[in-house]
Amino acid sequence: MSWKQQFAKLRGLVGRKQHDEELDEEIRAHLELEEQENRAAGMSPEEAHYAAVRKFGNVVRAEETAREMWHWLWLETLVQDIRFGLRMLAKNPGFTLVAVITLALGIGANTAIFSLINTVMLRYLPVEKPVELVQVGMLTHRPGEHGPQPVFTNPLWEQIRDQQDIFSGVFGWGDARFDLALSGAAQYVKGLWVSGDFFQTLGVRPAVGRLITTADDQRGCAGVAVLSYGFWQNHFGGAESAIGSTISLDNHVLPIVGVAAPGFYGVNVGTKFDVALPVCATAIFDGKQSRLDQRSSWWMFVMGRVKPGLSPEQMKARLAVLSPRVFAATIPENWTADMQKGYLQRSLVTAPGASGISGLREQFKQPLQILMAVVGVVFLIACANIASVMLARAATRSREVAVRRALGASRMRLVRQLLTECVLLSSAGAVLGIFLARWGNALLVRLISSGRNPVFLEFSLDWRVLGFALAVAMLTGILFGILPAFRSTRVSLTAAMKGSQAVELEHHGHFRPGRWLVAAQVALSLVLVVGAALFLRSFVKLVTLDVGFERNNVLIMHVQARAHDLPPEKWAPLYDEIERRLATLPGVVSASRSVLTPVSGFQWDQNLHADSPNSPSGDASATLLNAVSPGYFRTLLTPILAGRDFNAQDTKTAPKVAIINQTAARKFYPGLNPVGRHFRLEQDPGKLGAPVQVVGVVKDSKYWTLREETRATAFIPITQQPDWPWGPNFLIRVTERPSAILSLVQASVVSVDNSLSLEFHTLAEQVDDSLVQERLLATLSAFFGGLALLLAMIGLYGAVSYMVAQRQTEFGIRMALGASPVSILRLVLDDVAIILAVGVAAGFCISLASVRVLEKLLYGLAARDAATLIGAALLLSFVALVAGYIPARRATKVDPLVALRYE
Amino acid sequence: MPRKDPERERIELLQGTLDMLILRTLLWGPAHGHGIATAIERTSSDVLKIEHGSLYPALQRLQQEGWITAEWKTSPNNRRARYYRLTAAGRRRLTSETSRWRRLTEAIARILRPVESPEES
Repeated sequence: MSWKQQFAKLRGLVGRKQHDEELDEEIRAHLELEEQENRAAGMSPEEAHYAAVRKFGNVVRAEETAREMWHWLWLETLVQDIRFGLRMLAKNPGFTLVAVITLALGIGANTAIFSLINTVMLRYLPVEKPVELVQVGMLTHRPGEHGPQPVFTNPLWEQIRDQQDIFSGVFGWGDARFDLALSGAAQYVKGLWVSGDFFQTLGVRPAVGRLITTADDQRGCAGVAVLSYGFWQNHFGGAESAIGSTISLDNHVLPIVGVAAPGFYGVNVGTKFDVALPVCATAIFDGKQSRLDQRSSWWMFVMGRVKPGLSPEQMKARLAVLSPRVFAATIPENWTADMQKGYLQRSLVTAPGASGISGLREQFKQPLQILMAVVGVVFLIACANIASVMLARAATRSREVAVRRALGASRMRLVRQLLTECVLLSSAGAVLGIFLARWGNALLVRLISSGRNPVFLEFSLDWRVLGFALAVAMLTGILFGILPAFRSTRVSLTAAMKGSQAVELEHHGHFRPGRWLVAAQVALSLVLVVGAALFLRSFVKLVTLDVGFERNNVLIMHVQARAHDLPPEKWAPLYDEIERRLATLPGVVSASRSVLTPVSGFQWDQNLHADSPNSPSGDASATLLNAVSPGYFRTLLTPILAGRDFNAQDTKTAPKVAIINQTAARKFYPGLNPVGRHFRLEQDPGKLGAPVQVVGVVKDSKYWTLREETRATAFIPITQQPDWPWGPNFLIRVTERPSAILSLVQASVVSVDNSLSLEFHTLAEQVDDSLVQERLLATLSAFFGGLALLLAMIGLYGAVSYMVAQRQTEFGIRMALGASPVSILRLVLDDVAIILAVGVAAGFCISLASVRVLEKLLYGLAARDAATLIGAALLLSFVALVAGYIPARRATKVDPLVALRYE
Repeated sequence: MPRKDPERERIELLQGTLDMLILRTLLWGPAHGHGIATAIERTSSDVLKIEHGSLYPALQRLQQEGWITAEWKTSPNNRRARYYRLTAAGRRRLTSETSRWRRLTEAIARILRPVESPEES
């Protein structure tokens, strides 16, 4: 449209009414003239009038089109459409309610999953200019380590900080856990070790007081503490007096200098910090073994803000210059020459850091993508349901549509009107859905959290989430509206005006588009049911797996000495005493202790050199280790298959002994009796320890995760272990619920030594926590699979009911002519069977094609597991037949007389 | 069911040609809507068929483009009618449109001419 026309429209807005009247008058004059001419040609007045109108064509349409030249008609019709749409929806409150709730659930589920994806993976940190941030990583070129490794040592960090010419600001940080309690049960808070530039580079401001600066982070510092806003509110009630007071962390007292701004939770998405301390303060906490100068203690993350104007190429070039200098200055002294050579080959790289870092990304990326697809499909099924209802409604509205078209409404105009109604519905659904999503988010966080690893995520309704919800709403409004809208406006005017019931239905009332919709629903829901069955079966397999130990009724107590003043040689007798006392408590079956507990996420391995011929060497000889007290296997109910358990005679000075698992026996002593043979452990690269005699073989059990293939494992007596900086875990088998005995256990430990820090959980919890990802997928896919099934069955039920209602007359006639109820039933069920067959066949093919992506997430069964596929198809078919049978029975109840009288 | 209809023998107007025909008709002098419609039909010896209703949107469009103007006048038989008149811009437009049209019809005529020599293909 030219600008002249646009301008004319603007003018038209002013004298619009006059214009409309003039046009009216003009057309009237035209018709009169034509009539006059017709009369002059000899027609009767009546004939002359009709001939004139016929010649003119549709008066209303001509007026509308002409008027469109002058008005922003679309705006007016939009308002009209919305008003009319609201009226129509209010006329059918039942339908409107069901549709809005269905849509709200669908949009809510989609928005909830999307907003989790957004929060974990996409959203920028709430800091100054987040896009300038990059995370520094290091390419190690080591086999098995793909992509940049994000963790650095303090010496490396210091080199990067002092030598770099890439960043306008650079900072390092590490995670920590501090104990607030002075005695008894530990009360842990999340800590951060931050370098002096941390807050300043991020652009975080203090809420009160000041934040840590470079002046605070100098070697030999006394340490200061900065609180997070949330922690300040919870523990100090937001009192200003907290600034200047002190806080005790792991029995070290530090002054509080300030509180970070609200909304800043750290750089690690999924967690939040409570207290931040300068990196230099690690020296106070670590004692003699300070990590500040350790060149093989990997614990720091590094991020920087790129200097403005620096191109990616320049940055790469500068990193290439920086890398060799940095690594040359920090070679780990205790590494072998080969490893040191590899170390010098390492190079620094950067990755975008605007979204911070998160361990959740790696863990939940694929599950979240799958869930997004699942809720998307559920939503399609829900949309199909609404589309079916709309189609059915369209049939009842065909008369209205026919009348409106006869009066000159164009088809596009009617389609637009019907689509407006749909978008209204979906908008209402979206608003409700966003509320539902907020609630769904809280639920999701609970599902991905585990007892010992709480996930903290702050969901905000940012433009991405709102845009997503809006886009979904618009799309679905059009999706479920377009087919009914086009179909219902394709009416035969004469048939509709005659009032025939079946204007909409060709081919003996077969409801064609509706059937395809239902078949598609069946197909899609079969795919989801298959997926859900796969995840459920794989989860059940993991849960019921023989893990080699009995997880129930075992309490785990982690003990850590609060003060470092006790000499290491005093620790063992202290722990022995605690173990003895625990064993005598009422309700305790057995007590023991170990350095590591099963499936804890910790791992300790060394290379093992066995004295048997052809025993594996090098990396192939890597063996998992654990140090345990006598009674460990009894407590876990892991059977000793050969030889003996450790006993009180296996002291530090006695000959070194070990118990190995079945896998280790097979690997290092194939065909031999391992009991009585010897092996040596590689303490440092190339340095072998004293010979150790194998005294027993135990059944295989899971060490690291439930999904692992059991690896060779050796257990040594906890009395003979090398010095270990961390306190042991006590494992206590009880007769009743572990929580019932907690206070008794605590009192008993305090009576031995009241300065120990204690932390409790159960072995069952620990095993459960390792299955977070599997549980999430199993729970949600089962829920959505069930929902999909339900929706598809409602769709089927609705379609069959509708078909039965439409063919009532036909059935009546058939019955009147002597058809038996069974034959009528078969007539209907044949239809159901066809829909079902098409749907199941299509669903089968889609499943076969798509389940491959699940392969890696499954345990103990293939993605194309035949039993699961067939079982899901059978379940679906059974439910579908029930859903079809109920309305089909209604067809046999048709009273021929009533049906015949209808027309 | 479509019946054999004498009206079918008449040619429906091509999109866009109506504008040109209106401008051409107004070249003879101001006219009202009905007059324009009858004039087009008469001069084309009733071959061209216009739905009279479609005339009015076209008239609005031409007005907006500034090619014609309109005013209310009393017709010879004493009836108020809206008379349309060609503007200078409209005249220029008609000239350019006409020559464009001529080129187009010549080109089409060339293509539709009976084939003189068998084509080799």
